[in-house]
Amino acid sequence: MFYLSRIEHTLRFPPHLLNLPLQEAIHKELEKLFLDKVIAKLGLCISVYDIRSIEGGFIFPNDGAATYTKRNNLDCFTYSWRLLVVFTLVMFRPFVGEIISAQLLKSDADGLQLSVGFFDDIHIPDHNFPKPSRFQVEPGYSDRGRWIWDYNEQSFDIDNSDEIRFRVISVSYPPIPLEQPKESKPFAPMVITGSIDDDGLGPVSWWTEANVVEDEAT
Amino acid sequence: MKILEANAGPLTNFEVLEFLRSKGAAKDPTRVLAKVAPSEYKVYDYLVGSAACNQTKESINEFVEKCKPYKLAKAEVLNIINIRPASQVGIYPFIEACETRLNEDEVAELADLVDKILPAPPVELKPEGINNDIEETEKEGQEKDNTITEDQDVDKSQMETS
Repeated sequence: MFYLSRIEHTLRFPPHLLNLPLQEAIHKELEKLFLDKVIAKLGLCISVYDIRSIEGGFIFPNDGAATYTKRNNLDCFTYSWRLLVVFTLVMFRPFVGEIISAQLLKSDADGLQLSVGFFDDIHIPDHNFPKPSRFQVEPGYSDRGRWIWDYNEQSFDIDNSDEIRFRVISVSYPPIPLEQPKESKPFAPMVITGSIDDDGLGPVSWWTEANVVEDEAT
Repeated sequence: MKILEANAGPLTNFEVLEFLRSKGAAKDPTRVLAKVAPSEYKVYDYLVGSAACNQTKESINEFVEKCKPYKLAKAEVLNIINIRPASQVGIYPFIEACETRLNEDEVAELADLVDKILPAPPVELKPEGINNDIEETEKEGQEKDNTITEDQDVDKSQMETS
């Protein structure tokens, strides 16, 4: 679920951070750049874990470390440093086959949308439901409702009362659209497709109830 | 940006939670003071609500050690630690081709291990207990009402005497 990823980046170091200790300032700048953002094929950045090395510039305390350069034939101070930083990020990158527990966010005729709190683009399409499943429309709504799994003449429904375990089927990183059509869903840089079609998957209450029934039978 | 190492090591939910705790994340309302970003707090909230909330380094190490005879893949063990499936049916989806690799007894043993070694999530108050409390408080309230009326009577009598 969570991985460490080592990355090298040439960081522009803005002057307003010069009053901070170097490590702290770089940490802040890295957080601004990467935190809560998706890097294609690496996943969602959760946190900056550590900074391994800093190269390409040094800052003297007190003196603000201005570099004196010539630009446009005018003598001027520039404060922007370019630093080569190697650091480690904590990434949220589920692997295919992983089981994750999540909460129900939305339930419609196409399937379910689940959330783990910090990440919402988890979809369970209707063909990944235990069979036979049916969709029951909520009275008064055209698109809302809940999914019901009919098993042995018992019906189990999926509501947002307890955690839902699902298996990761695929993780995709759609390319950023050049032009987004109006009234389309907000762009999701990382989409997880899941399945609840197996023993032990789906809402946790399904399986604790099943145990109780078995116990009573024996 | 250059990716040097996409996978420099997997982390369990517990490790991420410990890392966030070490940064100062906690369940108190003074969240603005800690150096923890709002997005990190979302992760923290998710993890505190998961099975990782009361795991320890020792319990995880012990579990990894005890899992060795079952020849599970690293990712499978990691996944079991993260979710803590304490029932037999809960174990099945975690292990690829479970029926061919483990027999029913081994799965039951594994479920037992999970239940024993990895700490159970903190038990929430049972609704029965809450109901009892309510009844008790109602009774107390009635008693208080009685005492108050008595007091008032006393006051009245005092008023009269004075």
